[in-house]
Amino acid sequence: MNKLSRLKGILPTIGPGALWLVIFTLVPTLLIFYTSFLQRDPHGWLSGPFTLENYRRFFGISESGIDALYLKILGRSILLGVVATMVSVVIGYPFAFFVARSQHKNLLLLLVVLPFWTNFLIRVYAWIVIFQRKGVLNAILHSLGFEPVFLYPSWTAVYIGTIYTYLPFLILPLYASVEKIDWTLLEAAYDLGAGKLRGFWHAIFPQTLPGLVAGIMLVFIPAVGTFVISDLLGAGKTILVGNVIQQQFGSSRDWAFGSAAAFVLMAAVMAGLWIYARRAGEIGMEELV
Amino acid sequence: MRKLVAGISVFLLLSATAKGELRIFNWAEYIPEEVLQEFEKRYDVRIIYDTFEAPEAMMAKLQAGGAREYDLVVPPDYYIAEMVRAGLIRPLDHEKLPNLKNLYPEFKNPDYDPGNRHSVPYQWGTTALAYRASEVKGKVDSWGVFFDPDMYKGPFLLLDEMRETIGAALKYLGYSLNDTNPKHLEKAKELLIEAKRRGLGFAGSVEGRSRLLAGDAVLVHNYSGDIFQIQEEDDDIVYVIPKEGGTVWMDAFAIPANAPHPDLAYLFLNYILEPKVAAAISNFTFYASPVKAAEPYLDPELLHDPAIYPPPEIMAKLEFIRDVGKALPIFDRIWTEIKAR
Amino acid sequence: MSSKRWLTLYGILVLLFLYLPIAVIVVLSFNDSKYGVVWHGFTLKWYKQLLEHTRIHPYVWNSAIVATTSTLASTILGTLLALGLHRYRFSARNALLFLLYVPVVIPDVVMGVSLLLFFAWAQRTINALHLGIGTVIISHISFQIAYVTLVVKSRLTGLDPGLEEAAADLGASGWVRFWKVTFPLIAPGIAAAALLAFTLSLDDFVITFFTAGPGATTLPIYIFSSVKRGVTPEIHALSTLMILVTTLALIAVQRVQMRR
Repeated sequence: MNKLSRLKGILPTIGPGALWLVIFTLVPTLLIFYTSFLQRDPHGWLSGPFTLENYRRFFGISESGIDALYLKILGRSILLGVVATMVSVVIGYPFAFFVARSQHKNLLLLLVVLPFWTNFLIRVYAWIVIFQRKGVLNAILHSLGFEPVFLYPSWTAVYIGTIYTYLPFLILPLYASVEKIDWTLLEAAYDLGAGKLRGFWHAIFPQTLPGLVAGIMLVFIPAVGTFVISDLLGAGKTILVGNVIQQQFGSSRDWAFGSAAAFVLMAAVMAGLWIYARRAGEIGMEELV
Repeated sequence: MRKLVAGISVFLLLSATAKGELRIFNWAEYIPEEVLQEFEKRYDVRIIYDTFEAPEAMMAKLQAGGAREYDLVVPPDYYIAEMVRAGLIRPLDHEKLPNLKNLYPEFKNPDYDPGNRHSVPYQWGTTALAYRASEVKGKVDSWGVFFDPDMYKGPFLLLDEMRETIGAALKYLGYSLNDTNPKHLEKAKELLIEAKRRGLGFAGSVEGRSRLLAGDAVLVHNYSGDIFQIQEEDDDIVYVIPKEGGTVWMDAFAIPANAPHPDLAYLFLNYILEPKVAAAISNFTFYASPVKAAEPYLDPELLHDPAIYPPPEIMAKLEFIRDVGKALPIFDRIWTEIKAR
Repeated sequence: MSSKRWLTLYGILVLLFLYLPIAVIVVLSFNDSKYGVVWHGFTLKWYKQLLEHTRIHPYVWNSAIVATTSTLASTILGTLLALGLHRYRFSARNALLFLLYVPVVIPDVVMGVSLLLFFAWAQRTINALHLGIGTVIISHISFQIAYVTLVVKSRLTGLDPGLEEAAADLGASGWVRFWKVTFPLIAPGIAAAALLAFTLSLDDFVITFFTAGPGATTLPIYIFSSVKRGVTPEIHALSTLMILVTTLALIAVQRVQMRR
């Protein structure tokens, strides 16, 4: 193709979308970075001069030594992400096989997809109803003669809520891979003398990797950045980095500090994914759809 | 199929016919639906009613652009000076508010807004402790039920409002709730962090009283009228002002600096100062009305209820929250830390 | 028990876990009790209350408008983008691909505050982009476009390039080739992408939370502030209705897919 016809092809196709992405994705992200070096003015908006104070505050560096408050919060968030992801994998991996090998695949798939499509706020607040002092769980325990448990608000509730919310996000892409598994490779492995475990690990597991990686990303990222689940199920007692960010842009009116926190979260997630992607190999995002 | 398209087009056309629009930003459950509908009918306008759960969130929303989006906002008295300094609300043209004459004399020139230059008083009340009598043993008469581990009486909720909650800790420590001494604030901060961990966390006023009703919490920090409203439903709930004192406050209506429909805003302000309307509001909210002319229309039980219109001895125990000027960012920081630890 | 039996038992347990909270909400929406979870009798009064609660109707409307508009825009923008990325190689291509992944990889809360910040700066400098329903639509398009582009692009990658070449050999120009050959083949992919975008918009809470202005309250925003004020059976009723709509839509989609 000659240059002109190429340009005539590129501009109308790439043009609008690229422009949109630059204006509404790139610029806002750069703005966050820029704002993280500003300060809060007396009335809650922003002012210069440029400063590293926000990052110092986040990393707890001051004259009186290191105060790890926000680092602890970031750590808690990452821990939640990691644990929720691992538990989702443990629960979801066998489940994906259950669906793939079943005779009622379509029905089961529909049953899994429904919670995925259901509004996530509904699925989260339901746990309030289950865990609250006079909630479903305690009603059941009471009728069985047990003492009540006080899981709302609590970290346990936040963990259970997080795992519950994102489990379908792991199952679905994983299922997409599991469904395409070529089981003959397993037979070949057996023929070559491999036992059940080795056969599975070498013949089947690698085939599930694309979906597994996609699923892990789809659980880890939202889990690390959540603020709704900790806000609803933790009632302000369980602060994650998402809550800190939300608060700075809300009632605390310190957008500069909030931007610094947001940037650190973004960097942490990107770093985590990069490390993970390097070890799990280059798997395209296209796999998740 | 054609009927469907026609129907949809008609519907779209009807909703597009520009009705005047009034955008109000207020607390939830703070104005009866009938009062809004009466205004909508009288002036043929549509009211868009957004709510907030805490004044800090209101301030944040206004700053993020809401000062251009809303026609009316309802801050608590102590934020008005700050909002004026930040250029968020506009001075009021009293020519357009003849009904200001209906106010009690003491509210015509309040400390928080001399001459009512920027606001119109709406409802006033107190903030203190509410609890479920049947589940709480012993006397509840001190903020110690939150701050003193020995005085713990059961699961409690702190109020998700910065000045009120830090104020309660300051009063427990024996200071004024408008104290800006950093050392005192530090002590208050420590108390609050421990209290947060001992209790069930924070809740806004509406959530707090819902959970009190539902049995989730047995003690909450909440506003007088909100509690009186639920006492109608459940007489096991008691409201008490601790011996260290509580707060008395006035919520007032203000017009944001760049309000899109200021004329409608003025009409509404004048409207809520009408005697019957002011009475309808207070009869619903169970708060005290600043409108003297409303007295004949108020529910007599409410008018003579000392919890709603406290006598001088009680008023002496109460403190107004005042604007702390330059110290506000210090409070914001402490609040962030309390929430984060 | 055979391993197949264990697996089946396990599968059922997981399904129960997935559906327990949903079941609780649905059942309680019919419970004649304002606060407790103890069954007091069947009632439809919460649904009645919901329908009479006219202040909610604009929220449903808002959710629908935002979802429809943003899906339309993002599907068009995204499909074009996918097409261009698939067909052409150019120097900024990798940078663009990277930018495309940002909305997918970035945590919701960061994207939400970055857009809020952007709109606030725009308001203060060029006096535009004041918070309202427009900013919500813009924000939704910004994350939908990434998903649409990626979905359509993957379908394009799966196409047989020979078909396009054949059409080119037969003398068809670029756009004709697209409409007559490519488009019909990727139409299901575009439909899937549009459906995904629509659902993402309808369900979105975090990004809408930060970018909505007055009068732009959507259903998820309403549910959140309502739950923060105290869970009520009326919200259970609203939730049940939303679950019903989702279920019906899903069944419809499955039926359509099975017919093809």
